[in-house]
Amino acid sequence: MMLKITRRGSISRSFSALITSIFLLLAFLAGSALFLYAGVNPVEAYYAVVQSFVNPLLLAESITRGIPIMLVSLGLAIAFRMNFWNIGGEGQLYMGMFAATGVVLWNLETHVIPDLLLLPVMFLASFVVAGLWGVIAAVLRAKLEINEVLTTIMLNYIAILFVDYLVYGPWKDPHGYGFPLTKPFPPSALLPSIPGTHVNMGLAIGIIAAFLVHVLLSRSKIGFEIRVTGDSFSAARYAGISYFKIATTVMMISAGLAGLAGLTIVSGIIGRLRPRASPGYGYTGIIVAWISGLNPWLIIPVSILFGGLLVAGDTLQSAMRLPFAITQVFQALILIFVIMSEFLKKYRIQIGGVKI
Amino acid sequence: MRENKELVRMENIVKRFPGVVANDHVNFELKRGEIHALLGENGAGKTTLMNILYGLYNLDEGRIIVKGKDITHHSPKDSIKLGIGMVHQNLKLIPSHTVTENIILGLDRPKFFLNLKEAERRVKELAEKYGWKVDPKAKIWQLSIGERQQVEILKLLYRNADILIMDEPTSVLTPQETKQLFSSLRKMAKEGRGIIYITHKLDEVFAVCDRVTVMRRGRVVATKPVSGTTKEELAKLMVGRPVLFRIEKREKPPGEIILELRNVRALNDKGLLALKGISLNVRRHEILGIAGVAGNGQRELAEVITGLRKVISGKVIIDGRDVTNKSPRKILEEGVAFIPEERIGTGVVPNLTVAENLILRTYRYKPFSNRIFLNFRSIFKHVDELIKRFDIVTPDRNLKAKFLSGGNIQRVVIARELTGMPNQGLPKLIVAVHPTRGLDVGATEYVRNALIKCRNEGSAILLISEDLEEIMSMSDRIAVIYEGKIMGVLPQTQAKVEDIGLMMGGVPLEEIKR
Repeated sequence: MMLKITRRGSISRSFSALITSIFLLLAFLAGSALFLYAGVNPVEAYYAVVQSFVNPLLLAESITRGIPIMLVSLGLAIAFRMNFWNIGGEGQLYMGMFAATGVVLWNLETHVIPDLLLLPVMFLASFVVAGLWGVIAAVLRAKLEINEVLTTIMLNYIAILFVDYLVYGPWKDPHGYGFPLTKPFPPSALLPSIPGTHVNMGLAIGIIAAFLVHVLLSRSKIGFEIRVTGDSFSAARYAGISYFKIATTVMMISAGLAGLAGLTIVSGIIGRLRPRASPGYGYTGIIVAWISGLNPWLIIPVSILFGGLLVAGDTLQSAMRLPFAITQVFQALILIFVIMSEFLKKYRIQIGGVKI
Repeated sequence: MRENKELVRMENIVKRFPGVVANDHVNFELKRGEIHALLGENGAGKTTLMNILYGLYNLDEGRIIVKGKDITHHSPKDSIKLGIGMVHQNLKLIPSHTVTENIILGLDRPKFFLNLKEAERRVKELAEKYGWKVDPKAKIWQLSIGERQQVEILKLLYRNADILIMDEPTSVLTPQETKQLFSSLRKMAKEGRGIIYITHKLDEVFAVCDRVTVMRRGRVVATKPVSGTTKEELAKLMVGRPVLFRIEKREKPPGEIILELRNVRALNDKGLLALKGISLNVRRHEILGIAGVAGNGQRELAEVITGLRKVISGKVIIDGRDVTNKSPRKILEEGVAFIPEERIGTGVVPNLTVAENLILRTYRYKPFSNRIFLNFRSIFKHVDELIKRFDIVTPDRNLKAKFLSGGNIQRVVIARELTGMPNQGLPKLIVAVHPTRGLDVGATEYVRNALIKCRNEGSAILLISEDLEEIMSMSDRIAVIYEGKIMGVLPQTQAKVEDIGLMMGGVPLEEIKR
C-alpha cells in the first residue's frame, strides 16, 4: 500500500467550504462515539447543543459565555499573525480578573473612584496589568531567545495559582462562611446589559475590538510589521523592523485583550472573583483563533458557537452527569478535524489507487 | 552493437505540475562513453527530467528504457540497482562522519558487520585512479567543497554506477578545481560510463561535453554534437532569441570613498570567526566585485555592512559616518540598498502582495504612511510607477509575491532597492549579493544593466558573486575573499582569471606576483 501526498493547486471557495463541512460532520460523528462512551445518547447531546442556540434564554447565555472567548481569541490572533505562539491567554485572562477585582476591592475600602468611573478604571487596569504580564514572555523571547510557548504556558500556572492564593487568603470575604470567594462586586462594578437583552456590554466591547484588530492588521504600520514578521523573520530584519519593539507591542495588545476577557468574566458573569473562574476560555480561544483562520470578523460567530458548546455541556452535566472534561475533549475534536480539513485543502492524498 | 552502446532512452516524457507542464513530450538519450550536456535556463525542466530518470517523480506519460530494460515506473532504489547515480547541487554528506563512512552509508551490504578497513582500501584505490588525494579516514568537515564533491562522486563509483547525473557541479568550485573535475569526468566517460551534465553555462558545454541537448520551457529544442555548434547558436536556442554578451559600461572616474571597512572581524552563525580582519573601500561610480568560493565569509560581509550582523572589532564607515553595529534601519536610512542572497523570504515576503513588497523597506516614511496608518493612495501610485518602470510582469499589484516568476521577484527587489529612499533618490551604496543567481539570460542582462546604470549615475556598488564571469565583466576592481580574509584587490584591467582562481584557492596576491 503506497501513500502519496502531493500539493494541490488553488481551490475554489465552494470546494473549500464543502471540505470544511464534511469534516465538521465527521467531527460530530466522532463526538457521537465520545458521548456514547460517556453514557450519553448522542441524539440528546446534539439536541442540547442545538437548544443552546435556539432557546432565547440559552442563546443569551451562549453569547455571554462567548464574550471572553472572543476577546482572548482576538488577542491571540494578533500574536499568531506574527508567529508569536502565545499559549498564555488563560494566565493573561487571570491577571485581568486580578486587576479588575483589585480595583473593586480597593475602592470598597477607600471610595476614591466615583461610581461612574469605576468600570473605565477597571477596564484600563485589566488591560494594562494583563498586557504587562504578556510582555514578560515577549522580552524573554526578544532578548534571551527563550521559546515563548514554554514561558507563556508556565506564566499561566503562576497567574492561576496567584489568584488562588488571593482568594483563599487575603482577598477572602470575611462574611463568606469560609468559602474561597471575594466580596461581591457593587452594582457600579458590573457590566450593564445591552438594553432589552440578557447579554452584557461585553459583546459591544468584543465587536469594537474585532473592528480595531481588523484595522490594526490591515491598515496600520504596526499591522504591516506584524504581517512581515509573521511571514518571514529574516525579511523583517531586512526591512529594519525591530523584533523587540514589535514583539512587546504585540504582546501588550494581545495579552491586554485577554485581560479584558477576564474583566467580562468577573464583571459580566460571576460578579466577584473565585478560584478557577475561567473554565479554560484562554485555551478555547486558541482553538477559536485557528478555526477562524485568524480572521477577526469570523472570530465573533465562532466564539459564540463555542460558548454554546459550553452551555450545552453544562446542561448535559446537570441533566445527564456528563463530565465537563468530555466537553473539552469534544472541543479539541472539532479543532483536530478542522486542522485535517486544512491539510486536505492544501494536499491531495493517494492511498493505493484511491485518490482523495 | 548499437543496442549495447545505449544506456538511457527517455521517450515522449510528459510531467505536469499544477498549472505548468514541466516536461512536454521530451526525448533524451545517453550513450556509453559520452558526456551529454543538458542545457537550459532555470525552469526549463532539466532537473525535473533528471528526477524522473532517477525515480523521484512519477511521469504522466512516456517511457524510460535503461540498458534495454523498460523501467518506466521505478523507484530511486531501482535506479541505484541499475547503476544510476546523481550528484546534487547541494552536497548531501554527514559532516561529522569520515569519507568512507559516508560512502558506505545506505548500502545493503555489509548486512551487519562492517569491514571498514576493506572499504577504506577500496575508496583509496578508486580515488587514486582519478588522481584525487582524498583521505578515506578524513572527516567530511575537514574537507574543502571540491573534495566533498569528489566524495559524492566516489560514493557513486563505489556502487558501480555507470550513469552519472551531475547537477551544475561547478557552481561551488574554483577554476582550478573545475579543471580537475573536468579531467576526471573525461576519464570516467572513457571507461564506458555515461555522464549527464546539467548546466546553464555555455562555456562548460564546450569545455567538457560531447553532445548537448537544449531545453526551453519544458521542451527539447535541439540535440547536437558539441563540435557542430557555436556558443551563439546554443544561447539563441536556450533563450529563444539572440543574446548580446556585452554590457554597456561607460568609463567614469571613481569619486570619493563611500564605503570603508577597517579591519572588520565578525562571527558566523556557529560562533566561529568568519571575517578575519577585512579592510576594503568602495568609491562613487565604482563597482567592487568580491570573488570567492561559496562560504568564505561573503554572507557575513554583506550582513556586517547592512547592520544585520554585529562586528566584534573594526569599523564600518559609510560616507564618512561611523555606522559600526548600528541597526539595519539606521543603515538603511543612510541610503544603503541591499539586494540579499535569499530572494524569497528575505528580499520579498512571499505572502505579501507585490505592492506591499515594493514598500517593504520604505513603508515607514512619508508619503507612504503617517504616524499610525499606511497611506494606500500614495503607496499604490508609487507602486504602479515602479511596476511600469521596471517592467514587472504581474496581472495585479495585489497578487501575492510568491506567485511571481523568479525573474520578476528579483525585479521587485531591484525596483525597490535601486529607487532608494523616498525624497533621497539614488542609493549611495548598493550591496548586491548573487544578484543574478538562478535567473534566466534575459533577467540577468536586465539586472546587470540596472546595476551598471546606478554606478554610472553615482552609486557605489559592492558586488558579491560566485559567478566569476559576472565579477569579471561588471567590476571596476576585484577583491578575492578566502576564509574571511581578502587575498588581494586588483583593477579589472589587470585581473587574470588564473590569478583570481589561485586567490580563490587561498594564495595571497603578493605570492602570485613573486
